[in-house]
Amino acid sequence: MIRLGIRAASPFAAVVGCYLLFAGHNNPGGGFAAGLVFGAVLALRTVAGFHQPTYGVALVAAGVLVVAGVAVMPLLWGGPLFDQQVLSVEAPLLGKVKAGSALPFDIGVAAIVVGTVIAALDGLGASEFAAGPPARSDGGERE
Amino acid sequence: MTVLISVAIVAPLLAAACSLAVRSHPPGRDIAVLAGLGSAALASHIMLVTVARDGTHTVAVGGWAPELGIVLVADLFAALILPVALTIIFVVEVFAIGQRRTVWAANPQLSGPLLCVLTSGVSLAFLTGDLFTLFVAFELILVSSYVLLTHQGNRSQVRAGMTYVVMNLLASTLFLFGVAFVYTATGTVNMALLAERIPQLETGVRLGIGAWFLVVFGTKAAIFPLFSWLPDSYPTAPTTITAVFAGLLTKVGIYSMIRFHNLMGMEDLGPIMLLVAALTMVLGVLGALAQSDVKRILSFHVISQIGYMFMGLSLFTVAGTAAAILFLIHHMPVKAVLFLVGGLIENHEGSSSLDRSGGLAGREPLVAVMFAIPALSLAGIPPFSGFVAKLAVISAAVDQGGTVVVVAALLAGGLTLLSMTKIWNEVFWGGRTDGPRPRPAPRRGRRIMHTATALAVAGTLMVSLFAGTLLDLSTEAAEDLRRPASYIAAVRP
Repeated sequence: MIRLGIRAASPFAAVVGCYLLFAGHNNPGGGFAAGLVFGAVLALRTVAGFHQPTYGVALVAAGVLVVAGVAVMPLLWGGPLFDQQVLSVEAPLLGKVKAGSALPFDIGVAAIVVGTVIAALDGLGASEFAAGPPARSDGGERE
Repeated sequence: MTVLISVAIVAPLLAAACSLAVRSHPPGRDIAVLAGLGSAALASHIMLVTVARDGTHTVAVGGWAPELGIVLVADLFAALILPVALTIIFVVEVFAIGQRRTVWAANPQLSGPLLCVLTSGVSLAFLTGDLFTLFVAFELILVSSYVLLTHQGNRSQVRAGMTYVVMNLLASTLFLFGVAFVYTATGTVNMALLAERIPQLETGVRLGIGAWFLVVFGTKAAIFPLFSWLPDSYPTAPTTITAVFAGLLTKVGIYSMIRFHNLMGMEDLGPIMLLVAALTMVLGVLGALAQSDVKRILSFHVISQIGYMFMGLSLFTVAGTAAAILFLIHHMPVKAVLFLVGGLIENHEGSSSLDRSGGLAGREPLVAVMFAIPALSLAGIPPFSGFVAKLAVISAAVDQGGTVVVVAALLAGGLTLLSMTKIWNEVFWGGRTDGPRPRPAPRRGRRIMHTATALAVAGTLMVSLFAGTLLDLSTEAAEDLRRPASYIAAVRP
């Protein structure tokens, strides 16, 4: 029953995460909040015994690289640290789409958060759960 | 200049990411870590030359004005301390590579990336121009230090780590409250704007906020009576980690005090602060005398020496602040070197306990010399840097008529020498006692460790050699801190 619920809820939660990621520029949300939602989905799926992701540390490394890269990129054309470039395009169906360099920054932050969650699950021995359906009923409380 | 400031903060972070990505590939990992730390250290040295020549330089992050955004400020004070700190971390990391094959080594997969993150936090703490970013930098340093301290998971490490984490979390919470108080009282957390608005505050509010931050930074800096967490936690960590912690972490607290409390106009609390400084000096060194382990003795000395810097600050004069800055520059490398030598003793003797070692001077004369120079410097024997630094602090105190604190400082100096003599007698002279001796590091590792320590000793000698120039620069930095007009002008053009 829990497995079914988690399986049904995961796509919706992922959509909420994506919404937070893109809304974060001018509204409440952002990379950190989105990362927490994605991380919660992965944690639930892990403790319910679906699969055990193992790319946590790699994701953290990639996230830090993206974040630090965005920070220093403006220095190449003489701008200040963390200077923001905004790209605005007219896209069919979507209307006017604005994307700033804060977007990859937010994606990087989300990657760091998700990576940390995965690494933490790994450290807490979540692989025991990933082997199959939860053996103990207290599995869901780990989150 | 913008590039230099950015490199000092971001290069270690990039190195952390790269070394994490290749963490199971030792050469790549070491190259990434050393490149990150090295480029940051190099940038900071160029920054010192540039700032000494052209004056304060600022970077407005994201191009926002100081009222709205974060400003990074490389003034002379920051530019003086930063190269010392970053060079120490680089040398310690080289030492760590040599120490790797021994049982005392930190786990390189973890310690390399985390040391980079810590370095980034240290750079940010020195270069930031506002109180909240200082809090973030402290957290960056502390979170990596929690892991570095306890990652081996020994019983003693976890127990000491508990005290360390609880004390520092408490201090961080108080810090956050303090930032809120400052913002409520003045409407800003930017240091330059604070410098303009603080003189308009009522005396009670000003002293209250100042005293609050005295507790916050005092816990980080381990002044009396807030030092209880330090001597238990530092000796349990791997030597390289302890060297970085002892050389830098408490100093970041003192640095923040020198920067912040000179703004706050705390002259009324000066006498109480001087008393605290005297107690810190004397109690720290008395604690050291009671110990029988090299690393524990050195940890208590950290506390005692913090007292001298706090004493220089508590005088609230240009000469006192300059002396405190010079003491910082002298103390950071000397302390780190002494811990590195502690690591060498561990490697050669199988333990850093005084009871289990002896006669090392005969077998390893080089190690004895590398211990003697920083030890004499720490005790304040001429012609080493410690003498110049202590002389500056004491003469500044004599000018202000602080008899009690001067007597305490001289007493603490004598007792420091006594406890260094104790290490010398037990470890370098005398006979060795039998006991289980772990296998020392292989020859190549030992060569790297010795080279790194020798380089660091040479660094402390450079501080002695250029003590005059450094004192002039410190005085100039202290004048800017006491009269922040030029700082304000640089941040708000």
